[in-house]
Amino acid sequence: MNEDKLNTLRQQDANLRDAIRLDEMDRPQMPVDLNARLMKRVATQEKKPRRIVWPWIAAACVAGVMMIWLTPPKAETPTDVVAENKPAVEQPAINNKVEEPEMAKVESEAPVPMPTPVKVRKAQVQTAVAKRDAALLAQETKAEQPAAKPAVDEVHKDLSIVETAKPQEKMVTLTERDIPITRPENYKYTPEELALMKKQANEAYLKWAQLELEIAKHNLEQTAQSDY
Amino acid sequence: MTTITDIDLLQGLRKQSPKAQQQMLERYGNDVFAQVARLVPGVENAEEVYQDVFIKVFRNITMYDAEKSSLRTWISHIAYNESVSFLRHKKVPVIYYEDREGEAEKLSESEVEATFGQPNPETVQLIRAALKHLPPDERAIITMFYYEEMSLKDIAYVTESIPTTVASKLSRTRKKLYKIIKMLQS
Repeated sequence: MNEDKLNTLRQQDANLRDAIRLDEMDRPQMPVDLNARLMKRVATQEKKPRRIVWPWIAAACVAGVMMIWLTPPKAETPTDVVAENKPAVEQPAINNKVEEPEMAKVESEAPVPMPTPVKVRKAQVQTAVAKRDAALLAQETKAEQPAAKPAVDEVHKDLSIVETAKPQEKMVTLTERDIPITRPENYKYTPEELALMKKQANEAYLKWAQLELEIAKHNLEQTAQSDY
Repeated sequence: MTTITDIDLLQGLRKQSPKAQQQMLERYGNDVFAQVARLVPGVENAEEVYQDVFIKVFRNITMYDAEKSSLRTWISHIAYNESVSFLRHKKVPVIYYEDREGEAEKLSESEVEATFGQPNPETVQLIRAALKHLPPDERAIITMFYYEEMSLKDIAYVTESIPTTVASKLSRTRKKLYKIIKMLQS
């Protein structure tokens, strides 16, 4: 039904219009004081200082965002700085541990079989050999038959010094109140690190073995020379 | 006594002038109260809704758009929404006839026109009785159209609907009224 038809009906429906008009007339009239009461209510509402909340909410939101934005990342917090720096500091230590596999063994708790003393021995042996070479050069003619034995003893002596010294160092490291030590993640090495450590340990072992062979060879030569 | 135009009234209302507010109440108060009382049963309830309507009008006067509707229609829209919202939230019990089976739709238009068109005081009384059995929204629409003589567009604006829906609703309500009259007669 369109509007024109309805407008026509509105004019035609006299009974309906009259009924509605009468019905409206019978409706309760608006109380006289209603507007006055309303104006009073409006006045009291206007008097009340309307708290404008939204700027505070907005400010709180901005502050929250800024806090999130400005707070350093987890790794940069003071405790984590230690945690983060420690591996950096210890990174050489890890390498050292490869050279000094005992520490690696203790910290990683991964069994590093033979190489443990190898690197240390290598280093010490090298110095010992150097010392011994100097001594040998000086006393080449006076060299006695068991010349190799003191050299080996010297090596072992140095080794024992190193080995006794190392645990102390290690203890120092372990007893430090650094968080990285107590943190479980610092006890763990990545598989790559473990593989690298093993590889380096094996290499060191091979070098040590070669060195031992050379020493033995040298000793043999010495004894052979002394025999002649 | 000087009468101020809607434009002046609006300017005053935007400045939250109590004088303009008072003027507005005097100009539109009775109509709004009647509209509210039509929808909300009980004078006290109607008073409460009436006050809420004008407080909303005073607060949101800056949102009024003269291009969309007249000030009167805009206030009616707020009054209608407040009344419907009141009925919904307060859960005021309203008893009305509901044509579930759509029997009213089957009635012939000529029959309906004859009943509503031929002046008869008895029929007027019957229609008044029948009006009480209409749901509030239908009663509001039929009153806006027949009594306040509002256009379909304005009724649609007030009820947040579209003119075609209002037209079909009016047609249905007429037939429904006739159906109720028949029931009352029988």
